[in-house]
Amino acid sequence: MISAVLPDRLPWYLAGPALGLLVVGFFMFTNQPLGATGAYVETAKAVRRIPGAVTWRAFYFVGIALGGFVAVMLKDDGFVRRKGYDVLLDPADMNLSLPVAAALIFVGAVVMGYGARMAGGCTSGHGICGTAQRSPASWVATISFMAAAVITTYFVNLI
Amino acid sequence: MNSATAHKIIGLLFGAGFGFVLAAANLHEYATIHNMLSLEEFDVFFLMGGAIGVSLPLLWLLERAKAKTVLAGTLTLSRSPVKRENVVGGALFGIGWAVSGTCPAPALVMLASGAGLAAVTIAGLFIGLGLRDAQTARSTGTAVTGDGEHRAMVASR
Repeated sequence: MISAVLPDRLPWYLAGPALGLLVVGFFMFTNQPLGATGAYVETAKAVRRIPGAVTWRAFYFVGIALGGFVAVMLKDDGFVRRKGYDVLLDPADMNLSLPVAAALIFVGAVVMGYGARMAGGCTSGHGICGTAQRSPASWVATISFMAAAVITTYFVNLI
Repeated sequence: MNSATAHKIIGLLFGAGFGFVLAAANLHEYATIHNMLSLEEFDVFFLMGGAIGVSLPLLWLLERAKAKTVLAGTLTLSRSPVKRENVVGGALFGIGWAVSGTCPAPALVMLASGAGLAAVTIAGLFIGLGLRDAQTARSTGTAVTGDGEHRAMVASR
């Protein structure tokens, strides 16, 4: 196994501007926001072969997973580092059973997907690309989801 | 190389760059998002601020300069007025984000990192997006695209 190329966690002052440059670069190639919601929507359409689907968004969708895989592999313990949702199951932490954790995650994800489509974007689409376009709709959506998420997390922590 | 192929290559490369940064900053782990939203750790807020701080002024300058994009004509930014859906949908998104502890792009990275439960998140996301699309199709017949989503290009100049 190759030793760590990437630190355990790339600090925000490097990751943030890097992400910002990717957003600008993506706009300068495709004239599109570097968002994820639209990628899910177009990938679902492409897989179902619905006419008018933006097929290249499916390549982008797969690219996100591939890039993530590469970065994880370049960390110290590489593929062993699959913590993901471990804190939910950890007896010393939230101590949920697997079915309960899966049900919770599933319901959360359905609400999240519904909300993202209704709002017209997610954390990347509205939260970064929309705000960077100086879109009033995106700034308001971002404030709304940040506030809702912080309040919800407060209640999750009470459980 | 034709435009369709170029779009696929650019899509794959920028998708990979995006996923790489998310994973490098540990955004694909429940604990990172949960600690952020518990207001115990502000790194992710700073990360988002840093991304906006770099991209907002650059896009502004490029827009003013009427910059030509490589594949799709003159750079056009979207600035939609605020609608009720932005507020309500945003709030629902935030609740779901807090509960599932990951958002759409990091969920893909989480699965790629080997955390199998992320497949549940991704399936739920597809279902939630589909439910909303089915609902708008019933009421208006057309889906509305927000400023954060892939937009249909009107004959790019």
